[in-house]
Amino acid sequence: MLKNLCQKMFGRSLWVYHANSGGCNGCDIEVLNALTPYYDVERFGIKLVGSPRHADVMLCQGPAMRSTAQALKRAYDAMPAPKLVFAIGSCACGGGLWFDSYSVIGPVEKIIPVSYYIPGCPPRPEAIIYGVAVALGLVDKKTAPVAFKELELPIPQYHPGDLRGEGELVVYEKAEKV
Amino acid sequence: MIAREMFEQFKQRFGPLIVRADLPSDNRLFVFVDPSSVRYVTQHIFRELDARYVATIGADDRPFSGKFLVAHNFAFDKEHLLCGILAYLPPDKPQIDSITDMVPAASWGEREMRDLVGIEPVGHRYLKRLVLPDGWPEGSHPLRKDTLWNEVPAQYDPEREFKFDEAPEGCMVIPFGPFHPTLDEPAHFRLFVEGEMVRGCEYRGFMVHRGIEKLAESVMNYNDIPMLAERICGICGCVHNVAYVQSVEEAAALKPPPRAEYIRTIMLELERLHSHLLWVGLACHIVGFDTLFMQSFRIREPIMWMAEKISGNRKTYALCVIGGVRWNITPELKLELRSVLDKLESEWRPVVAAVSHDKNIQKRTCGVGVADAGQVKSMGLIGPVARAAGVDIDCRRDHPYAAYDRVEFDVITEQGADVWSRLLVRAKEVFESIRIIRQCLDKMEDGPLQLEIKDELPIGRMGLSSVEAPRGESHHFVITGENNRPRRWRVRAPTYQNLQGIPAMIKDQQIADMTISLGSIDPCFSCTDRLETVDVRSGSVKVWSQEELLKLTRKKVEG
Repeated sequence: MLKNLCQKMFGRSLWVYHANSGGCNGCDIEVLNALTPYYDVERFGIKLVGSPRHADVMLCQGPAMRSTAQALKRAYDAMPAPKLVFAIGSCACGGGLWFDSYSVIGPVEKIIPVSYYIPGCPPRPEAIIYGVAVALGLVDKKTAPVAFKELELPIPQYHPGDLRGEGELVVYEKAEKV
Repeated sequence: MIAREMFEQFKQRFGPLIVRADLPSDNRLFVFVDPSSVRYVTQHIFRELDARYVATIGADDRPFSGKFLVAHNFAFDKEHLLCGILAYLPPDKPQIDSITDMVPAASWGEREMRDLVGIEPVGHRYLKRLVLPDGWPEGSHPLRKDTLWNEVPAQYDPEREFKFDEAPEGCMVIPFGPFHPTLDEPAHFRLFVEGEMVRGCEYRGFMVHRGIEKLAESVMNYNDIPMLAERICGICGCVHNVAYVQSVEEAAALKPPPRAEYIRTIMLELERLHSHLLWVGLACHIVGFDTLFMQSFRIREPIMWMAEKISGNRKTYALCVIGGVRWNITPELKLELRSVLDKLESEWRPVVAAVSHDKNIQKRTCGVGVADAGQVKSMGLIGPVARAAGVDIDCRRDHPYAAYDRVEFDVITEQGADVWSRLLVRAKEVFESIRIIRQCLDKMEDGPLQLEIKDELPIGRMGLSSVEAPRGESHHFVITGENNRPRRWRVRAPTYQNLQGIPAMIKDQQIADMTISLGSIDPCFSCTDRLETVDVRSGSVKVWSQEELLKLTRKKVEG
């Protein structure tokens, strides 16, 4: 339904505004990268604009910080409806490494409603373009929701006591069992 | 033996003021002095011995020694020595004499120390909040050991707004940021303008203060922190990663295997390549030359792919652990890296040739954002900003680390001290980086990638490390501690110093030149802000000599 709505509401060029609310810059430069010759999102009509008042979409990078929460909220309010918000990168999606630090509030969804999530640290430019294209209905989503089970650690945890052998030939005893 | 010679010199000069001294190696010196003499000692070091100010560190050492600790770090670049002046302060009322009137560059360091650790710099003239969020109550200091990393004081008031200074008479205020198209990151400037001319500014940044140092001291362990350090900054992350690891290695007296040192050098230089190309692109974008923006990003992209092939990620390389590196450069990767470098060099040469004769760029950048050698000294400016002013400093040569003592390269300097010179310095440094990587590939010897560390790292030792990031010197200070994690870890990113020079750079310039002046230091607010929120006062906002003139003009217009 959201897809149809998007196609109806955002049928033409999509103007995006990027707001870094306190990230490390990594996602920023990947968003910039998506504008440049190798990835070139302008061919899809996507254009970066300087003011939230011109924008259809807000790209959020970085966690919601105590010091920028107000500014982020104001920028969101300044966007004309209908509007979409993308959370780009691990920090914006879930708060990142510092989700519970004293100066961080957490993921941006605690401040403004988020429509789509693009995880990664940082996400590749391809991932960002793919995320936007899925949202616009340009491509189909290739993933399905999966419930994850906690698995056994797939990497053998080496312990010197389990190493058997002499000289150059050393065998890790438990390796085959993993 | 330079550390010993310097220490003898200090002993003769200061005698009984010196409480204790540590000389962990030939190029490091820690001198503990009486707190009341810190001003006197730093004045001698900064003025008479002509040392360069590096960082101010405040630490809560109460659980261990029962006292607070303050350190002012200085660098003797020609003598290849890094030196710390330390003093223990009483636990009940930690106060220290401010050195800001002699060393203006220490202004932020002391304000940060006051915000985070609660050590009062006595005599500092502008003690406004720098790092913590606006609503944070006075008297609560997150970096004290009795505070938890996720503890928000009950008096925290999210509605409270920052109180800005009054604009000088006759000036308009133009807010700039926090979300501005030419700023990638949030930072707020209030420009005081008179007509088209900027007369001063106030900076309220540190919006990206994520509490990284606190997290490291309370929840991470030695080998987690490199990954955290890398996320201080998305552009020069590997620099922080290497600098942290080196400072811990130095504190614990570990020497990584030679192959690991070469791999660190190669990754640092790859990062410099991509960062400089990114900067040239962004700077051209700011002055409205989008063609070169696109071109330099096109030229840069193969480096990102190469980094991904080596480390598995385009940006955050996760390169170092204590005592070594995690990724190897195999013969196939070597071959590919060489061809990427060849292509880069052949594509970058015509770009530099074209740019260095481009009249349009020259007109936008020559004489703009000037920071001369005097400012470099007083504000502690570093990196391409200092080198563009003819100050010949480069940590790769002055304080060699990794494999930089085994490769040859030139330190590029220019004399113009303006944005144009910074552009030239960065454009030419790209070739030096290529040269360094090629030499590393030639000289790299086979061997292990990591040390085997069997014992626990020693406790209570200090280590410091300076790494030349693309933007300047990145300085890390570590005190090792219990529970497999450092007691105190302080990061001084290059933008931390360079940003303090901005008010003087943009003063009396056209407002349209503000963005490129700011861009020219390659600002990286996330590095700077790591910990807290800050506001800074730039330049002198005083009585303007042109005030009368302006009034006259207004009268004329009205009449």
